[in-house]
Amino acid sequence: MKKYQIQEKTEMASELRIDPRILAEFLQMNKNILDAPKLVAAPDEISMEMTPYDVVYSEGKMRLLHFNSSQQKQVKTPLLIAYALINRYHILDIHPQKSWVRNMLDQGLDVYLIDWGAPTTMDKYLGFDDYVNGYMDNCVNFILNESSVDKVSLQGYCTGGTLSTVYASLYPEKIKNLVLTAPVIDGSRDSTVVANLAKHMDVDKMVDTIGNMPPEFMYYMFSILKPFEQGLEKYVQFFKNIHNKEYVENFIRVEKWLSDTPSIPGELFREWIKNVYQDNLLIRNQMHVAGKQINLKNISMPVFTQVAVGDHLVSPECSMPIHYAVSSEDKTLRMYATGHVGMIASSFSQKRVLPELGQWLKERSEK
Amino acid sequence: MSSTEEYQKSLEYYKHVSLFWTDLLSLMSSRPQSLMSTGPFRKFGVNAKKVSAEMIEINQEMGKFNQRLSEYYRQLTDTWNEAQKQFSKKVPEIPTDTEHLDSTKRIWIDIFENYFTRLFDSPEFAENFGKLVSSELDLATHWNNVISVMLETVNMPTKKEIDELYKELHLLRKRVGKLEKISNSGENGNGK
Repeated sequence: MKKYQIQEKTEMASELRIDPRILAEFLQMNKNILDAPKLVAAPDEISMEMTPYDVVYSEGKMRLLHFNSSQQKQVKTPLLIAYALINRYHILDIHPQKSWVRNMLDQGLDVYLIDWGAPTTMDKYLGFDDYVNGYMDNCVNFILNESSVDKVSLQGYCTGGTLSTVYASLYPEKIKNLVLTAPVIDGSRDSTVVANLAKHMDVDKMVDTIGNMPPEFMYYMFSILKPFEQGLEKYVQFFKNIHNKEYVENFIRVEKWLSDTPSIPGELFREWIKNVYQDNLLIRNQMHVAGKQINLKNISMPVFTQVAVGDHLVSPECSMPIHYAVSSEDKTLRMYATGHVGMIASSFSQKRVLPELGQWLKERSEK
Repeated sequence: MSSTEEYQKSLEYYKHVSLFWTDLLSLMSSRPQSLMSTGPFRKFGVNAKKVSAEMIEINQEMGKFNQRLSEYYRQLTDTWNEAQKQFSKKVPEIPTDTEHLDSTKRIWIDIFENYFTRLFDSPEFAENFGKLVSSELDLATHWNNVISVMLETVNMPTKKEIDELYKELHLLRKRVGKLEKISNSGENGNGK
């Protein structure tokens, strides 16, 4: 019966003048799609928690996580990571072999991370002042007390980089080292499609009408970034590789992370779009937070800026100006041949980005 | 007169006629209404005019919204067609063997990706998209206003009232936070 079916398909292929391998691939793809639920866990069934941590401080929806490490601490200065405002922090600890957090712990650093949580309508009035002078400063103060040190190393990723820059400018005395990973700094130079839309947005009307920036709007923004590669080809590759356990596991975890997009508090979104993308105040030292001017020249501690050449969310031209705007004498700018996410959660970042950063931090931290 | 002007003129006329009759009926019926409508729905009778005015505005906004939505889809369709033309030029015939089919797929993705990224990067797209979202927000505002009337009718807090509450809570939290910081710095002497 089976022999008869194959013969029939081959005959059909030769009649249509199609390479029988194409037909075979097509049939294999159909089989893979049908087999997928048996081979892969549903996104809802997997946990995103990898490295164990303790919630050491919380305020509103924000939580300060302190990661547990089995390694001996090599430096006294703790590292505080301020994750971005878009999606959740899980990408920094997405897989044991690709975990930013685990790598830093393995290099002997004491790692804290701010999880901004999922703001609700009630949080629509939270702005830069609340995030920087409130959440971030309270977290830093907590760590200083806990670790009995005078300063922390602060790392900000993406929009977390914007917040960290503002924080470092307001509280330079509390920051030993500043690490900025793909930070959103100079919106006028950002050549991405996201920046193009942000510049034409009536952000006042948006925030006044709907309050928080809803996830649906963020999904739209993501959908216009490489729509065919990310919207079609990615899923074709997923089903093609359905028997590659490591590939599909990683795929599902990243997909789950991508779909977990909390709202952005309305006021914070308004200030961010206006100050960074539309009026470009941050890089011109004209941005104000709670009445205080954000002068980037106040940033005099060692600064390490990490930029991804293939970043289609925050273009290198948008991040790099911070390197030249700060007054630090000890500053490093590194450009990596990868993308926005590849820089923090990939085999490449484990081999290239993290060892360099770990070394840089250890050389400049209190022993 | 262009069709847009004609449409605008007829819309204005429709708005005027509707408002005239709702106003007049509201005036004419206010006394008997007051006499007959008791309980929570009395409020609805009083607010009915607000609802009809909002509905008229929604109709007006719908025109603008549809215009921008059509432009949005026109931009997408034109780009698709241009990309498809370019693809057909590069690959006049779809190959029938696996190796070439794979490279053809790659070419298709690259061409479409380039054309669409160029579109999303253009000021024309961003401008129309900004206006489209703005129209959507105008519709949302009118819809919120209608809902507010309904909520007022049944004596429930409106969005505006809840927003005021959220703002007060926010300011209160801020004040408490500041006081906590001051008291902590007093205890520690160094702000930690």
